[in-house]
Formats: sequence, C-alpha cells, structure tokens
Amino acid sequence: MTTAGLHCEQLSRRVGDRLLLDGLSLSVAPGESLALLGPSGCGKTTTLRLLAGLDPVSGGRIRLDGEDVTHSPAGERQVAMVFQSYALYPHLSVLANLELGLEVRRVPAPERRRRIAEVLALLQLEGLERRRPAQLSGGQRQRVALARALLRQPRLMLLDEPMSNLDAQLRDQLRPELRALLHRAGHPVIHVTHDQQEAMGLADRIAVLEGGVLQQVGTPQELYHRPANLFVARFLGRPGINLLAGEAGVQLAIRPEQLRLVESGGLPARLLRREWQGSQQLLWLDTSRGELLLLAAADLTPGEQLQVTWKPDDELRFSSASGERLA
Amino acid sequence: MPTALPLLAALTWSLLPLLWQLLTSLRTPEALVLQGPSAWLQGWTLANYRQVLQGDPPFWRYLFNSCLVGAASTGLTLLLAIPAAYGLQRQRPALRGGISLLLLAAAMFPYVLLFLALLELARALSWGNQLLALALPYAGLSLPLAVLLLRAAFADLPAELEDAARLEGLNLWQRLHRVLLPLLAPAIASTAILVFLFSWNEYPIALTWISRNDLLTLPVAMARIAGSSVYAVPYGAFAAATVLGGLPLLALVLVFQRQIVSGLTQGAVKG
Repeated sequence: MTTAGLHCEQLSRRVGDRLLLDGLSLSVAPGESLALLGPSGCGKTTTLRLLAGLDPVSGGRIRLDGEDVTHSPAGERQVAMVFQSYALYPHLSVLANLELGLEVRRVPAPERRRRIAEVLALLQLEGLERRRPAQLSGGQRQRVALARALLRQPRLMLLDEPMSNLDAQLRDQLRPELRALLHRAGHPVIHVTHDQQEAMGLADRIAVLEGGVLQQVGTPQELYHRPANLFVARFLGRPGINLLAGEAGVQLAIRPEQLRLVESGGLPARLLRREWQGSQQLLWLDTSRGELLLLAAADLTPGEQLQVTWKPDDELRFSSASGERLA
Repeated sequence: MPTALPLLAALTWSLLPLLWQLLTSLRTPEALVLQGPSAWLQGWTLANYRQVLQGDPPFWRYLFNSCLVGAASTGLTLLLAIPAAYGLQRQRPALRGGISLLLLAAAMFPYVLLFLALLELARALSWGNQLLALALPYAGLSLPLAVLLLRAAFADLPAELEDAARLEGLNLWQRLHRVLLPLLAPAIASTAILVFLFSWNEYPIALTWISRNDLLTLPVAMARIAGSSVYAVPYGAFAAATVLGGLPLLALVLVFQRQIVSGLTQGAVKG
C-alpha cells in the first residue's frame, strides 16, 4: 500500500444519536481528483469538514502522505478548501485576502510577493489585486478562492460545491479550466457536489454517498454501466433509468438510450407524451411492464402504437430486497 | 415631497428642546422672563458660560472626569464583552439560549435597586472618591446588553469565514483580530456608544461613590449647579452646563456616525 496521498479508514462522525457518516474508507492518490456525489444530507460536506479538521472525528483514521492527521488541528494539516460561498474576507482586497495566510505562516515578504504574483498569473487575476470581493464577478471570486487555496501549498485540496454559485453557462465554461488546474497541481483533490454532470466533468473517480454510507467508488463509466446498487443506478444518468417489473425478487433496470423502437417483435407500447430537446427527444411509453422512458432521434415522428426492444445484455438486475446488483 | 413633512416634524420634535436650551444659555436671567418680540433684541450674554467655566473647580474638569470614566467603562466593557460574546456564540444552542435569557434578565433589571448594595461594596473596598473605580460598576451593568448585542453580531457573520481562516493556520487571536473584529466594527461602535452614553448619564452611583468636588462627574455636577440656591433656579448657568455637557457626545456621534447607523440596521436587511 502506498503512503502518498489521502487514505481514510472507517471514518465516522456522530452528533448526538445521529450518525452523519458511517465508516467511510477511501483513498485518493496525488494528482487524482475524486468527486463526492450524493443528494443533500448524504454526508458529503460532513466528510469534507472531517478531512479539513473543522469538525472532530468520532471514529476511524485519516492519513495524509503517511502521517496520521486524524486529530491534528485544522491549521496544521496543510489542507486547503474552497468553500461553497468562497468565504473571501469581505473587508480585505484580493491581494490582502491572498496574503493573510502567508503572512500568518511567516512566509518572508519577498517570497510572499513572488508566490502571489505566480498564482495571480496562473488564474488570470492580474489587475484585480486592489478590488474588494464585493466588486468581483462570481467567476472571479471563485478564482480568488482557488488562488488562496493554492497558496496554502496543500497536501490535500477540498472543494465544496465549487460551481453552485455560478450560472449554468459559466459552469460549462469553467469546468475544463478547473479540471486542468487541479490536475496540474499534483495533490489529491476531493470535491463535493450534488450535480452529476459536474462530478463527471471534473473527477477521475466518483464516490456516491447516501445516508452517510458509501455506496460505490469508481470511474464515471463504471458507476454508469455497472452500478453497485439500485440507488447508484437511479442517481446517475439524466433522464433517469427505467425500472421494469421482472421475475419475483428481481428488479430489472434499463437506461433510456438503450431502448430501441422496432417494427415488430418488441414489447407493445403506447405513446403517452414526448418532449423534444433539440438534439434528441424523450418519449414516455406505457407498456405492460410499466412506464418507460425512451431516448430517440430528434427527427423521428412516432405513431401512437409502438414496439420497443433492448439487448438483454444491457439489462441491469437488482435484488428487490437489498437493492444490490445481481451478477 | 410628502416624505419631507413627517421628517421635518420629527426633527422639530427632537431638536426644539435642544435649541431652546441653547437660547436659554445665551440669555441673562432678566431677559428670560421678558415678553413680546422686542425682548429678542436685548439680554444676550456669555456670562452663563463664564460662570460655569470659571467655577471652582472649572466646568471642564467635570467634562474631563466624565470622559475618563466613560472611556474606561467602554474599554473595560468591550474587553470583556467581545470574548464573552464569541464564546457564547460557540456554545450548543440550548446552553446559548439559556445564558442569553439570563443576560436579558440582567440587562432588564432596574439597576437603581442595586446602588445601596454597590455603595456598601465601595465602602468595604475603599473605592469611594476613586474616579476610575466607577468604571467597574458601569462596565458590570453594561455587560449583559453588550454581550447580547455583540453575540447577535457574531451570529450574523458567515461561519465559513472563520473556517477558512482556521484552515489557513490563523489562531484564535489572529482570527478575531484579522478577520472577525474588522467585520464587527459597526456593531462594536454602536455598542461602545451605548455603554459610553450610560456612563455619561449615570447619576445614583456617581452621586454616592464620589463626594470630592474635583472628582464629580457631569450629571452630579449639573445637579449641584441646579440646586446651588434654594431661592432661585439658575436657568442660564444650568442651560450652559447642559450645552457644554452635550458637546463631547455630539462630537462622538459625528465621528462614528457611519458605523453607528450601519450597526443599528445590521441584521435588519440581511435577514
């Protein structure tokens, strides 16, 4: 087992009788980017705060580059975090925001100036040094928060919903930039999001959390095509996966893009409604096996009575009782 | 401008007594009782000011005493209230609520009921006729309200700001000094003004703790001017003392105007 990077074992957090995080074990290699994905209240932000040292750990261990930091104070871990609100100091200029931490950590003035100039250039923030956070746009604020985090020279970089305060267009534009930046830095990166598109766009691997329990970790492709359980299958993918009635004790599921319309020999279906989305269209079908969603070509004009089919290999089979996927 | 009228009415309501006070301080006692418009042409004088400023001890001595006590009380209150408010805000909600309720009860308590007990205390500790000793009861009486006000201000700051500072390696003192207190400046300024005002106006404790003439604070000194003769009320001198006594406060409010206004409305707009 390598020691570089982040390793957490059986990490737990309990507040009163509530178990916010239950035995999370994860490893993130240097230069690797992992997304923590899940609905709100699933324990993703709890995990970040434990890793940062902002909240006390109730059980388990955190090791960073071989060093046990489970109980070290936040300020000594060399962990940087970009907060959801960016948490820039509103009374300080961009320059002072970046300089405060370096100054407090007793970095000599010439080195402070050199490193700040470097990071300003890297993030294209030159010319904004004298501005206050309130005078910056959302994208600029995010870059200042990122600059401050990079100046920490972190052994682990945490990002809490870094895109949630930006509008959709800016998000699409910034995602590749952020990904390139985080990869270049060479430390493990964990970023929290409830947006699967963001997770897939930014991360090498995704960890899906639900109810404080890790459901599955893997590449986006693994999670999408071989989900460990019904929750992961339903959480990933837009439009959502179809659930079909199957044999007793088994829940079948099939992705909408894997259904095909055929002339004959398929499952009879009645068209309920359709939604045209430009590049494709979404059909709602009523069949004897339940309501199905089908992703079809945009130029198709379907009749009322249709027949659908799919490859048996594409079917995902889950245990109805536990939700686990059956081989 | 329909909004200007109520504003004008409110200004007149609050400023007219002050104006009247100012006029009274500039008139001879005879001129004050004259009637008719022609009375405004005569009887103007600075004698009232001369009288209070050349008294024994001169009036500025009382101003100085009050400023000193006010500054000491305000400083001491803030020194204790800021850490207390921060600590209170960090407590579990149930405990915080309970303590806040106790503080509120203490802040609402009519302190006049305490002054006999405080006098006994001053006697036992020989704090009588010690000007700066007044700052102790003043700070003590101001603390509950100051802690409550500052706690609310701390609660209004986003928690992520302090988290960010912690991750950057700032210790508690650095976080307060470099991040939290600058952001709390308006709340601290308005709290300071309230404490200073209380100390400036306080009468029963100052009356009973201080008996030496040259150590009196403003309210006690003014009461002495007003009660200096059983046969006449020296309106002119009294008014002059009032005007002089109000000047330092006016200066204080003018200097901190911006902070006070934003402090008083803080939370109201941020929701």
